[in-house]
Amino acid sequence: MNEENKSKQEIIDTEVALGTVHPAALEPYRVRLFVEDEIVKDAEITIGVNHRGIERIMEGLPVEKANALTEKICGICSNAHIWNSVLTAEKGLEIEIPERASYIRVIMEELERLHSHLLYLGHGSEVLAHETFSMRAFSIRETVMELLRMIGGNRVQYGVSIIGGVRPRCELDDSRIRKIAEGMDLIEKNVANFADRFVSDPIVMNRITGVGQISAKDAKKLEVTGPSLRATGVHQDLRETMKEYEPFDFNVITLNDGDVKDNILMRVLEIPESISIIRQAIKNLPKGSIVDRSWEMKDTGIIHSHIEVPRGTLYHSYALEEGRVRGTIIRTPSMSNIGAMQLACIGNHVTDAQLCIVQCDPCFTCTDRAIEIINK
Amino acid sequence: MSLKSFSRARAIHLMLVYTGGCNGCDIEIVNCVLSPKFDAEQYKVFLTWNPREADVLVVTGPVTKLNEEPLKKIYEAIPNPKAVIAAGSCALMGGVYKNIHGDIPSEEIAGPVENIIPVDAKVPGCAVRPQDLLSGVVSALPKLLNAD
Repeated sequence: MNEENKSKQEIIDTEVALGTVHPAALEPYRVRLFVEDEIVKDAEITIGVNHRGIERIMEGLPVEKANALTEKICGICSNAHIWNSVLTAEKGLEIEIPERASYIRVIMEELERLHSHLLYLGHGSEVLAHETFSMRAFSIRETVMELLRMIGGNRVQYGVSIIGGVRPRCELDDSRIRKIAEGMDLIEKNVANFADRFVSDPIVMNRITGVGQISAKDAKKLEVTGPSLRATGVHQDLRETMKEYEPFDFNVITLNDGDVKDNILMRVLEIPESISIIRQAIKNLPKGSIVDRSWEMKDTGIIHSHIEVPRGTLYHSYALEEGRVRGTIIRTPSMSNIGAMQLACIGNHVTDAQLCIVQCDPCFTCTDRAIEIINK
Repeated sequence: MSLKSFSRARAIHLMLVYTGGCNGCDIEIVNCVLSPKFDAEQYKVFLTWNPREADVLVVTGPVTKLNEEPLKKIYEAIPNPKAVIAAGSCALMGGVYKNIHGDIPSEEIAGPVENIIPVDAKVPGCAVRPQDLLSGVVSALPKLLNAD
């Protein structure tokens, strides 16, 4: 490269750095956008500010305590974490939980999926600077939060699952079932109205169509998970393989474009599926006890469990030694979606960069894990 | 009541800083301003992301060591008079992340918030309830309004 070209290079290569604390991002993380003529040429997301060392804290705790602690990893998919952690222990200890408990866990998980997706719609609309849609989404979400508070006793951390079943305070009696059914009707109606308004708004649809596109090939290569993967056209949902979801009929929705529009529509279309699962669950709720306390603790090797959570695939793994947890590994969905966030920014206008990051439903709080990647 | 306090009482700007908690409190606080059910804006409380505009700083999370410096800078950037609200059990005493093994303090946590910046009001809860946060903001208001 000669001298003249070099100086030119320096002029057009501009770096826009956001973070770690920045108005556009709720959570602290660092984004570096390499910009040329206001078009993003490369993006880099750095995390690590939130690292609290949950795995380190879990080391050596009694398994019941450790399960409760996993819930504090994330305030959005807290039920998913405790569920998967309990499932891991149950797998190792070979515990069969009562069918009614399994149904209640599925109901909680689907309610959580509703609240996560509605939060995505609200947050996404806020990033789009469309505050009316944002307020509408938050208003619909309030119904779900009330149902979660009714069952779990708290609006965010519910602590429903315990080893062997669910907590007795989360038993669903007739009045609770009736309230859930009423809530589902209300949410279905409101979400349909919201979606109608959203897709028939030409300004919003023009703004989001074709922005932040990811192809199915790239998504597979980057190991994107969850709705962000399904929005690119790949049919993958771990709920199809999970034992808990066997009694329920539901469709796995896929869309083709993988842009912000498809990501938003993906969440909108998944909401009726979740509502249908909850309806089937409360209709066929089996009778019987909700917790089986006849299990015995024993030492196990390394056990692990994958489940589908609102944002993708969640992985927990640990070994049990005298009832204590050893060597925890947790992998959260946003960890594998970071690659997609970086890729989605490339080629878009710099003002759309935040939208491209938000389209993959990031939760950097979950993601700050100590993971050492060894290139071989 | 001076003219300044009179007008300040009609435009309280909240700034939310997130220092490494679990997201639960943050969403509840954003929810408390954006959701039509709680709608803090009807009490003339607005959410802002600019420290130079803010009157009240709401801090959530146990303050990880990497977040200590940004938090101090944000606190210094807010013009006087200012009030600080620590929201959630992590911000009050480190939550589950600090001192989980009894005597061994965590290597990651610099908090709670009190150790770093002065706190005027404390809102307990894991996660905080939106109603509690609103009453916390109201209890911090006299400091702002009686300043001049």
